[in-house]
Amino acid sequence: MLTATVTAWLPETTRPEPAEPSPADADRGLARAAATGDLGAFETLYRRHAGRVHGVIARLVGYHGARAEDLTQDTFVRAWQALPQYRFESAFGTWLHRLAVNTALMDLRASRSRPVFDADEDALADIGATDSAGHGTALGLDLERAVATLPPRARAVLVLYDVEGWKHEEIAAELGMAVGSSKAQLHRARGLLRARLGDFA
Amino acid sequence: MNHDDLHHDDSRDDSRDPADARLRLALRGLRRDAPPARDLWPELATRLARTSQHATAPARPRVWVPALALAASLLLAVGLAWQLRPAVAPDDPARLIQREAQAMTREYRAALYELERSAPPPAASPVTPALHELDRSAAQIRTALGRDPDARFLLERLRKTYAQRLALTQRASLT
Repeated sequence: MLTATVTAWLPETTRPEPAEPSPADADRGLARAAATGDLGAFETLYRRHAGRVHGVIARLVGYHGARAEDLTQDTFVRAWQALPQYRFESAFGTWLHRLAVNTALMDLRASRSRPVFDADEDALADIGATDSAGHGTALGLDLERAVATLPPRARAVLVLYDVEGWKHEEIAAELGMAVGSSKAQLHRARGLLRARLGDFA
Repeated sequence: MNHDDLHHDDSRDDSRDPADARLRLALRGLRRDAPPARDLWPELATRLARTSQHATAPARPRVWVPALALAASLLLAVGLAWQLRPAVAPDDPARLIQREAQAMTREYRAALYELERSAPPPAASPVTPALHELDRSAAQIRTALGRDPDARFLLERLRKTYAQRLALTQRASLT
């Protein structure tokens, strides 16, 4: 109040510029508006965060374009639904990132339930394996493509641990597996990656 | 883009193998924003127009802990009911497997009923398609068991599917 009174008397040229809200503050304001049904505010949030949301989902689903786009939409639909109950206990970006990961992992679990058997995981593990002459057949693959060829669960653990910086305890809780299984999947994923990217071996 | 409180912790349980270190360093580089190839907003806006937001008022106040505890106990019940099944003469393993499948299905349905009664899931949830997939999988497994009643591995598959279905139902009721 006092500050407002003083600055009102300052000459135009000496008044301090109003501070730009930080990205987190801007998100918070937009999220509050969106939580009351303001679709315009939600579109702004979408524009600000679509790249990050789509990025993490694409990594988790192996850069499968159409699926990543569908899951990105699903994430924002879930965010729209859940915003009125969002308590602002974490930054909006962090909350949305978690929601994106959760959406991708739910799809991963649902995909696993579609076939009665898990044969697809083992089949995927053989893609890009060393050929009979002992040469890596995937030397030409870049890292993204190599990650995309990993079996889904191993890829999810590797992406969450090595790319996103999660802890094994968090990964295990999210994927519904034991901490030891998360570590084993990470070891497996790194081994498969090294085998496919000969120059890292 | 601010990546907030997510960060890499170099003190984690990573090996000191130089090849591993190079690989991890390269993997960190993958963490970047990747906008969709096309603008998803028009489709998204259409979907949102048909989607209602969850009420702010706590329609189901703080059912989280009781629901979680209930779901955990129900999951345990399905597992225990199967493991503590009464011993049956081992002269007809196919019949035994069929009876175990039927008993497990009864336990599962009772558990699902209790779960949905204590924490009703929303009519439409993002996990609804996955719930339907699990129901279809369970039906497929029961059909496969009918055709091949000796297949004990299908029994374990059925138990896992029921457990997944209960866990996902509980998750849906919390979202």
